[in-house]
Amino acid sequence: MSEPATTPDPSTPAGMLEGDLVNRARRGDLHAYDELVKRYQERIYATIYHMTSNHEDANDIAQEAFIKAYSALKSFKGGSSFYTWLYRIAVNKTINFLKQRKNKFHLSLNDIDFNAEHDPDLMALISDKTPTRDVGLSELQKKLNEAMLKLSEPHRMVVILHDVQGQSHDEIAEIMGCNIGTVRSRLFYARQQLQGHLAEYIKP
Amino acid sequence: MNENENNFKDLKNLLKLKRHEVPPPGFFNHFSDGVIARIREGEDGRAGSFAERLNDSAPWLVRFLRVFEAKPGVIGGFATSLCLMLLFGVVLAERSESGPQNFMTASSTSSQADPAVSSPALASATPPDFTVADGGIAISTNASLQPVASVFGQPSGASALFQSASFAPAH
Repeated sequence: MSEPATTPDPSTPAGMLEGDLVNRARRGDLHAYDELVKRYQERIYATIYHMTSNHEDANDIAQEAFIKAYSALKSFKGGSSFYTWLYRIAVNKTINFLKQRKNKFHLSLNDIDFNAEHDPDLMALISDKTPTRDVGLSELQKKLNEAMLKLSEPHRMVVILHDVQGQSHDEIAEIMGCNIGTVRSRLFYARQQLQGHLAEYIKP
Repeated sequence: MNENENNFKDLKNLLKLKRHEVPPPGFFNHFSDGVIARIREGEDGRAGSFAERLNDSAPWLVRFLRVFEAKPGVIGGFATSLCLMLLFGVVLAERSESGPQNFMTASSTSSQADPAVSSPALASATPPDFTVADGGIAISTNASLQPVASVFGQPSGASALFQSASFAPAH
């Protein structure tokens, strides 16, 4: 016996469309903004975390990005989606943070979830490198993050948005405020760099 | 482009590992609460920044008010001096209202009706409101110094108790 599917009540923030939530939040409705934060927190946090390779920094910057977005909501004209606009704020905050920090990187990596051990592509990469899969994944994670941090911020951002988060070239161009050609060239260059840094972990 | 994608196939597989990096359990359960709390703090801060705005517009006033911080003696002294100044002001205002009026009425009535005051020597020696009775006792003829017959139209009991004093020798 299956339970009836629960559809969110459109009168509650959880059931509202993004545009309605943005309008309410613009008028100072913090419940509506709370719902917007909940909808995008994971993606915003993940982008910042992948850029910084540091959980605490990602937490701080993500919070600041959401706070900045709330205070700037009145200037949001609706030319792009709220999501893209929010992303742009988060990206700018992250790049500014990294510029201030310069090359003082401190890794504070998150754990790898259980599903990684069941990913055949990942297992194929480590099966002939280390005897224990868990250790192999942790080592690979560390090497990958170190290699990512060697890229410049714009190149790292493009790789993260495209290859990790699966955004399209168009979306990335809009978020980063550049044209699609620049996105493509940055992506190609960044991949080349990464491949060079991770040569021993990637089969020729 | 496809060739490029194939060249980076292993790299893209390796990058999939990033998708499996997750924050501590329950992290997102309270993330939005933290954001909203910080927004509220900011709003409270803006609302409570009256002192900052005051400092910008009138720094002298802020410096003056800081003198009183944690100094009850100074606060008490300042309050007392304010009260005294207020009291002084009230008294001064009353005198300025009543004083000249009485003087003018008294001088006009005395100069017309009282023959004793017509003498300049006597006028300078005795106040204009007083007449010299037999035996040298001065009695006031000023109406404002006489007992009030009624207050606000009500008969006053005080008038019944009042009796004009006379120090003239009894015959």
